[in-house]
Amino acid sequence: MEKKRDLIKTMSTRQSAIRDHVAEKYPEQKWRYDAVANYYETVCQAKEAGKQLACVNFATIPELFWAMDVVPISMDSITGMASSSVEGAANYIDLAEEHFPDYICTTNKISIGAMLAGDIPIPDMIVHPSSPCDSALAAYPAMAEHFGIPYFCIDVPYFRDERGYQFLTDELRRLVSFLEDRTGRRLDPDRLRQVMEYSNLAHQYILKINELIRSAVPCPIRSMDILLDFNAAQSLAGTPQLVDYVKTRYETTRYMVTNKLGGILQERLRLIWIYAMPVFDWSIYRWLEQKYGAISISSLNVFDVAPVDDISSTEKILRGLARKVTTVPMVRECGGPWEYYIDRVKELVKAYKADAAVFGGHIACKHTWAIAKLIKDRLYDELGISTLTIELDVFDPRITSTEDVKAKLDDFLEMLSQK
Amino acid sequence: MNALEEMRSLSGSVANPAIENWKREGGKVVGYFCSYVPEEVLHAAGILPYRIRPAGCAQTTSADVYFSHVNCTFVRSCLQFALEGRYKFLDGLIFVNTCDHMRRLYDLWREKVGNLPSFVHFVQIPHKSTDEAIAWYKDEVMALKEHVERAFGVGITEARLRDAVQIHNETRGLLRRLYELRRGDSPPISGAETLSVVLAATVTPKQQYNQLLKRLLEELAERKDMPSYRARLMIAGSAYDDPVHAGIIEDLGGLVVTDTLCYGSRYFWETVEVGDDLWLSLARYYLTRSPCARMSDKVSERNDFVRMMVERFNVDGVVYQRLRYCDLWGSELFNLRAKLKEVDIPVLFLEREYALGGAGQLETRVQAFLEQIGR
Repeated sequence: MEKKRDLIKTMSTRQSAIRDHVAEKYPEQKWRYDAVANYYETVCQAKEAGKQLACVNFATIPELFWAMDVVPISMDSITGMASSSVEGAANYIDLAEEHFPDYICTTNKISIGAMLAGDIPIPDMIVHPSSPCDSALAAYPAMAEHFGIPYFCIDVPYFRDERGYQFLTDELRRLVSFLEDRTGRRLDPDRLRQVMEYSNLAHQYILKINELIRSAVPCPIRSMDILLDFNAAQSLAGTPQLVDYVKTRYETTRYMVTNKLGGILQERLRLIWIYAMPVFDWSIYRWLEQKYGAISISSLNVFDVAPVDDISSTEKILRGLARKVTTVPMVRECGGPWEYYIDRVKELVKAYKADAAVFGGHIACKHTWAIAKLIKDRLYDELGISTLTIELDVFDPRITSTEDVKAKLDDFLEMLSQK
Repeated sequence: MNALEEMRSLSGSVANPAIENWKREGGKVVGYFCSYVPEEVLHAAGILPYRIRPAGCAQTTSADVYFSHVNCTFVRSCLQFALEGRYKFLDGLIFVNTCDHMRRLYDLWREKVGNLPSFVHFVQIPHKSTDEAIAWYKDEVMALKEHVERAFGVGITEARLRDAVQIHNETRGLLRRLYELRRGDSPPISGAETLSVVLAATVTPKQQYNQLLKRLLEELAERKDMPSYRARLMIAGSAYDDPVHAGIIEDLGGLVVTDTLCYGSRYFWETVEVGDDLWLSLARYYLTRSPCARMSDKVSERNDFVRMMVERFNVDGVVYQRLRYCDLWGSELFNLRAKLKEVDIPVLFLEREYALGGAGQLETRVQAFLEQIGR
């Protein structure tokens, strides 16, 4: 094991450095890095500020935490950044695999490895939903038990119906009680309403951005914007920082569309990533743009989630958030029968006028691999869309390297060009 | 045929003589996949509950067209047999969200296996065992009841359910008696044999099974031919239904004296405590008994159950096995190993596929484990 380091502090320092560098060199682009850099600074300063830290995953809606003045640390954000850093995250993965199977999700392995190494502080609590995958469902309670961390699982019913939403609303009420017990504070309804105003505003902007992207040719964003947006939205919903970020994104996008400007110079191909996008090397997307004029126009991981329409009472907010829990990326598609998945993918392909699809099959996602062929066949049969399936680990290039990913994309795009 | 041989004939393959008789007399059979499904509801409807296993499945060529290599070989084998038409005798199917693999079996079965029975039901099992989850599960059990009633034109009265619970509790009590026989220095039944006995309970009409089990208990009282053993072992971990696998371990001198398996003790260890609300009692039983790794709030209870069984059966070592690609049982060993270390119980960890393979490697590892134990 390498010498001990403070992983969150390291990530924070880097995010701040990127922001400061961009601010100096390209001040008009600074907004892209502000929100996440500020978020990591908040996480780093939480303890000093007397705030509790909650270990959560990407699927855990952050609004209730911000409303309770608890800082949610998204493990997926940290592990994503760690894996794409110069050092990578192989040391944490290897450490975790001394205790856990190699086939649980790498985001869980990086979190576990970093905690075992003492590079991530032991959080004050762990909270996550039971959906979308077994890996999180198994790894988080195991971590909670091992480290003695208070734990709450938001149990998400399998089907989406009124009975399920009611159960989920009650689960969120129990989560509030859990947070109140942990912090010794009561939920302030006015504070929650304010958080929801920020959340709703941000989601309205995200919906408007996606509306613009859908209908615009050329596509007004760059491929890696999808990853930046995901990283911001997963942790910051309910904060003014996310509102600022998506507002600027919206204004920039609208300017691009109005002026018929594309995110890349020559758009020749519109790709949709119908499952995961590798995050260990973001240069893949620039390479696709430069070599093939291929814009990754959307992915499953887009937070185009409806705002909570009625925030007049805590009860109504919880009911609205219950629906949000089921519409968070991945829970939305993977957290129920396969019809939820294929319907979403078909909608994406049609709405964004995709030329082809890429199934970035994260090797740990057994639930999605099980239906990969069903999805691929259905897309081709109904929409005539070809799908490239790549087996990879989103966070670990040792499974499928950047070169191998590019080679598969080369073959696929070559084949498409001959159609 | 003695009772043990009869048990083996009932559990060794997909179909069995009891089912054939049942069908011949016009009985209906509904298949289910998980020990969280309340068999009593089907029993109360006069339907034979049948826990689906792909016993004997040696290859998954057809299923692998759809499932991937990261899916567990249990569900791949189930789909294989379904595609081959081996479960055609079933009049209905009950799927569950036990795990990611299992819930996708529901999708693939619907999409790719032709001639679905008219009764297909999905039970949403909560991942917690709080009072609220139990109340939810009661509604799920009621929904199953109503669907069964509609589909099969039967009425499931409370009296019939009460009878079903009583009969199932009798099965549980008899199986407990069988397990208790294994606590002594000279257990009259091996682990492999016991596994066959419990498996038979999941595919045989319960009244018939209870009679057979009583006969087995009588026969075991007279049994004198058990070989000596080197160590007393427990099998823990994910779904495990292969007596041949257990037999290999036992042939080397590691007598399996107990387990914490869903095809073993967790199937029957507790009984349904009947309260004022029978449906709630049933839901409470299924969600609060010794838990599967899918239950997120039960890590310490699972470990405690293993520890209790270790002490109760005077276990020398634990064989922790799991099917490859099972995340749920995959993450379980992390804490369990530490818990067992506290009481100096060594653990042999085996990762396996559904179809038995690598018997030589298994033998080597078991031999080494027995030496490690010092026996």
